Amino acid sequence: MRMIALSVLAVCMVAVVPLRERYVEAHLLRADPGSIPSDPTLLSFAAGRGTPLFDAHCASCHGPAGRGDQAKGIPDLTDDDWLYGTGQIIDIERVIEYGIRSHHPNAWNLAVMPAFGRPRPSEADAKIAPLSPPQIRDLIEFIFHEQGRDADGAASARGESLYLGAGGCYDCHSTDLRGDSAIGVPNLIDKITLYGDGSRQALFMSIAYGRQGACPAWVEQIGPTGIREIAVYVYSLSHSVGSKHDN
Amino acid sequence: MTTSLLEVGSWRDLAKVSSKRSFFLAICGAVIGLLLAGYSLFTARGTSTLMVPAEDVALVNQQPISRSDYLMQLQSLYSVEFSQATRQQREKVLNDMIREELFVQRGKELDVASTDPDVRNALVNAVELEIASDAITSQPTEAALRSYYQANAERYASEGMMTVEDYVFPANGAAVSQAVDALEIQAPTPALIARFGGKSSGKVGDEEFYFAAKIHLGDRLFEAARGLPQGGVSAPMEMPDGVHVLYMQKNVKPALLDFAAARDKVLSDYRNERIRHLTTADEAFLRKRANILIADDLR
Repeated sequence: MRMIALSVLAVCMVAVVPLRERYVEAHLLRADPGSIPSDPTLLSFAAGRGTPLFDAHCASCHGPAGRGDQAKGIPDLTDDDWLYGTGQIIDIERVIEYGIRSHHPNAWNLAVMPAFGRPRPSEADAKIAPLSPPQIRDLIEFIFHEQGRDADGAASARGESLYLGAGGCYDCHSTDLRGDSAIGVPNLIDKITLYGDGSRQALFMSIAYGRQGACPAWVEQIGPTGIREIAVYVYSLSHSVGSKHDN
Repeated sequence: MTTSLLEVGSWRDLAKVSSKRSFFLAICGAVIGLLLAGYSLFTARGTSTLMVPAEDVALVNQQPISRSDYLMQLQSLYSVEFSQATRQQREKVLNDMIREELFVQRGKELDVASTDPDVRNALVNAVELEIASDAITSQPTEAALRSYYQANAERYASEGMMTVEDYVFPANGAAVSQAVDALEIQAPTPALIARFGGKSSGKVGDEEFYFAAKIHLGDRLFEAARGLPQGGVSAPMEMPDGVHVLYMQKNVKPALLDFAAARDKVLSDYRNERIRHLTTADEAFLRKRANILIADDLR
């Protein structure tokens, strides 16, 4: 009799684990993404399951710790700077699902940094005209000046005119240079640089040859649960205990 | 009473055969089997189900409306997260999405694609996207990108930059060759050029990218300029407006961008090429299996 009881118990235990997982999984999917961080059970469940998925799909570019690679313009996912959206789970989820410039119709693809040192800076907008090397250098001086770094005053003044005028930079980066995370345009005056080390040479490369970082759309390869789990894991990278975001 | 105790005892004794125990275990097995079958039946994908899967917000004739799309729609329409949205806002978005799904399904039944050019275009785009999905939803390895970059290195060069002076002298003047000799010794000044009767053409001035210099100088002068080293002077070139002589202040020739600097562009080109390849191959396949008859006069 004891044997039977133990066998039934074992069967039940084996059955309960996947059933519980399915239950939490369903709860995770139905939960409002904004409320997940305040639910420790969901947070640890999703972040735990998101780790191997991140390793399998995202770490090849973002690195196993999610710190990215400035040389290649791959963003650091552990800092508090979000190029697309505000770093909430729903924003991260959308990037994973449909990607950035992935050709998927739902992807983020509004903003492409024109290559001002090429004959046709933008494929999408024929009105954008090239700039000369001295004009690009003037713009860099203006950006340096706005960042509070040493800059040539006269060149910076010329750069400001270009920024707000013929260069058309304000159109995406906004007049205060703070960018626009609604379309994935970086802030030019914070301490975080997506491409390179923030030097004049690195800025010249960005302005002259353009930028168009991409992230694939994972929607066909990873199911909705996996996508949410990765999103929660990525969220946890920048919201861990002691981070600037930790509440 | 004695019989009953004996039966209970034999039911517990695994060494003895008990019909009651067998019956009990068979019932347990059947119940567990039925539970599993029922659970699978109502949650499995691809089957008609009465339950809305957790990843969806609704099923319209078994066609799911994704929760993620619903949240995105809610955010783009009202700029609010789900938790902050009012009941009316949530209902409005859901009803709109259900309406859209119903109309799409009805559109398929009516075969609107056969008559409506917008639907046809949308279908063509959607099928192209579907064909390209392999390229869109996969991340090429760094090795594949590097190999593509090496195979197409000429596409990933920086733009050359030059600061060149273009002087024009009167035709048939002997002073031109003297001016060239003078420029080879010393950098040009307006006074030096004027001494030989020349002047700046005004076509170029500041540092320019090669493509801009080519537009400003014209093909012939640009070809002569691009080969000049810093401080180099071109041979006199006779043109309709006089004899041109170029003096190169600074010439930075195009150089291959390193892989990290060009990676964005490499990835984009790589993906576009794969998409093009997949689309072409798929079109060839579709043509091959299709029965296409062309009118006699267009053959």
